[in-house]
Amino acid sequence: MTYAFLIELRLYYRNRMALIYGYLFPLIFLVAFLVLYRHEPVPLVNHMGELLTVTALGGACFGLPTSMVGERERGIWRRYRATPVSTLRLVLTAVAARYLVLLSAALLQIVPAILLGMPFPEHIAGLWVAFTFVSFAFLGLGLVIAMLADTVPAVQALGQSIFLPMLIIGGVAVRIESLPEWAQHLSAFFPGRYAVEAIQGTVNGSGLGEAGFSLLALLLIGVAGCFASAKMFRWDTRERGGTRRGKVWAGAALAAWVLVGVLAEGTGRALPHGRLPADGVASLTDALRSPGAETKNLSNVYGTQADSVTIDSVTVAEHAADSVGVGAEPGDSPPESSGPQSDAETADAVSGEAVEAPPPPPPPPPIDYPDSWEEVTMEDIDRDIRFDALPYDQGLEAPVAALDEPMYPDIEETIRCVLYDLEVWPPAWTGDPVQRARNVLYVAAVPDMYQMSGIERWVPHAVFEHLGNAHPEDELIKVLYWIAANPYEGEVSAASRLTDMCLRIGGPDDTLMLQQRTGWYAAKLLGRITGHIEVR
Amino acid sequence: MFAQVHVRDLWKAYGAVQAACGVTFDVAPGEIFGLLGPNGAGKTTTVECMLGLRQPDRGVVRIGGIDARQHPRDMQQRIGATLQTNALQEKITPREALRLFGSFYREAEEADVLLQRFALEDRADAAFSTLSGGQRRRLALALAFVNRPEVVLLDEPTTGLDPSSRRDLHRRILDMKEEGRTVLLTTHYMEEAETLCDRVAIMHRGRLVAEGAPRDLMGSLGTAPSVHLETSGPLPPETFEEIEGVRDLKQTGCTVRFRSEQVQGTLSELTKRLETAGAGIVELHVRRATLEEVLIELTQEEGDASSGSDGGPLA
Repeated sequence: MTYAFLIELRLYYRNRMALIYGYLFPLIFLVAFLVLYRHEPVPLVNHMGELLTVTALGGACFGLPTSMVGERERGIWRRYRATPVSTLRLVLTAVAARYLVLLSAALLQIVPAILLGMPFPEHIAGLWVAFTFVSFAFLGLGLVIAMLADTVPAVQALGQSIFLPMLIIGGVAVRIESLPEWAQHLSAFFPGRYAVEAIQGTVNGSGLGEAGFSLLALLLIGVAGCFASAKMFRWDTRERGGTRRGKVWAGAALAAWVLVGVLAEGTGRALPHGRLPADGVASLTDALRSPGAETKNLSNVYGTQADSVTIDSVTVAEHAADSVGVGAEPGDSPPESSGPQSDAETADAVSGEAVEAPPPPPPPPPIDYPDSWEEVTMEDIDRDIRFDALPYDQGLEAPVAALDEPMYPDIEETIRCVLYDLEVWPPAWTGDPVQRARNVLYVAAVPDMYQMSGIERWVPHAVFEHLGNAHPEDELIKVLYWIAANPYEGEVSAASRLTDMCLRIGGPDDTLMLQQRTGWYAAKLLGRITGHIEVR
Repeated sequence: MFAQVHVRDLWKAYGAVQAACGVTFDVAPGEIFGLLGPNGAGKTTTVECMLGLRQPDRGVVRIGGIDARQHPRDMQQRIGATLQTNALQEKITPREALRLFGSFYREAEEADVLLQRFALEDRADAAFSTLSGGQRRRLALALAFVNRPEVVLLDEPTTGLDPSSRRDLHRRILDMKEEGRTVLLTTHYMEEAETLCDRVAIMHRGRLVAEGAPRDLMGSLGTAPSVHLETSGPLPPETFEEIEGVRDLKQTGCTVRFRSEQVQGTLSELTKRLETAGAGIVELHVRRATLEEVLIELTQEEGDASSGSDGGPLA
């Protein structure tokens, strides 16, 4: 066994193509993610789940079955069969060697990521466990492919038809939140998503504890893959795996995917709910509403960005809450939940350890929060709004184009059109000043939610310009503070009326997210007017 | 005598095709036994059933006294084999392959010993993909010896090799016999069977149609000796008409081939006629039937042309 294992590894490292697949591709993905998410303050930390999953998936979907089918095609397995070596031993050797290869490829991603500034993974042992589960699930899948495919080109075809959908709508390379709702449901039936969740939770989340369902899903899928491939095992291309009856067993492996998907749907996990507005704005509102709340909690306002600049464990955990949804209980987000409870939960999620929240410190002297937008003062703004905690203008969330950025003529035309539309758009002129401003801010928030690349970063300029014209500055400052501090209030129906404008987009499907983005844009404009935000 | 290899009433069908129909034979210890027959005769099926690569539909296979169907792993410990394809991983070296296969058995021969014995020392650490055809075949043979087997099954060990590699391999197979091992080989090269085998069995359409020592088979089956005659000048075809015992006559220019049941009578009659025609004898051979001719005869009389003449050197 040990010698066979050694040979398996030696042969792997002598195969140049395998090395390119196994090690160069993961590095390319690393660089690609680095470039793709270059505006994120902490490099890669939110994407290790995706990166490592792609690596494991590639190695298992292509690497393992390619070498196995290649050997079977050449008749090497038939030759093995004339010896007393057992099938189980041969397969275990191949799988164990492949696992080691995957592990080393994972290290080849983690180590450069740390050198590039990613904090050391929060739960390193948990990460190893999660990656092992992921490898198990995918290697099981690789075995099924190996038994199903007659030839190496068939492995490529089968592998691609699993690899690519998993990447695109399975929640691996494209984030689940960016997918349409139907695809989010669909992704619950793919193992890739659980792989990402399990790994990500150990990199900057609260560890394996939160990943119970994901680990279970991976285990189920892996066991089903091993079982099906054992049933389909063939020494020879002509044998039973190639027959129709043999192929039926591949269905058993897929049945596990369906089972996992149904379980996820049944337990309401299919949609990554609760995670989007899980950060700052809710806590800001709650903090404002509850007189006893700590001022410190306001550092959570607008989420992660400010804290991210100084890397510490809290930041990392917050990122997890931001990106994968672990630690983001639905209860965190709705504005109705009471302040202290919400804060305690956030603290739990952040620390990942203390189940019992530490006793609250003695309440500071009560703060005199304004009761209506008319009462807002500059003091309130200085005290409550953490402008440095807002998402970066160049980031993915609530982006704003820099003034010196060149604009394409077609975008310029659209923006001019939006400005004109706003002049005549009824929601921009109905209701009290706060509601009117909210309605206009929706015009910037919805394209951002849809990630309408190109245009989303320019619409805020039109919106800001319109608001500057429609409100006296003094009123606008108060209104914007009010919206930023109370993003979850007000009417949202206007957001569905953008079809009338030249943007021609439908309404958002996630109200909480809409309100969160609206709050951010309000604060961004407020900062620009009051000078809290310096604009290049 | 106790048989090292004992095959009784072996049947195997692939769908509607009966590949082995009641195959029965024994191989004594230290004997080289050849399974002969055209392609598709069922030789490889028989060997694969013996090796445990296929499950026979029924029948008994015993290797060294062990029931191969009930204790396949024990049987495999004692048997060495080469298959028709002897491909290995492209990047594996002969030394590694020998150690790898050795690790599958309870006891194994040292890789160095086998490398030396099969003249692979120079290429011991070269990738399999860089080995020549002969070297690959020698490696396959070395692998068959890695467990110091009592019985060696060689499925077409020399097919596709050049003549000198083939002779080299023949010497190695005869060495196996010297060491007291029992060898069962399949081949469709008749001269190989004549050179190597103590006994042969001829297979046709899944059945054994003849069995015995090559010499006996050639003598006993009544196959007529063949005569090859070359004359000083071309002869009219009538020269050979109505000579008693002559058949399968083929004449091209000055060369005549035929077979005769009564060589002596035929030749004296022929000499007379040559004198009359005024032609001299340049060359004259009389040759016993070869195993190949025996095989052609046996496999053709059973049926249509498709069976006997579709394979390599027989065609």
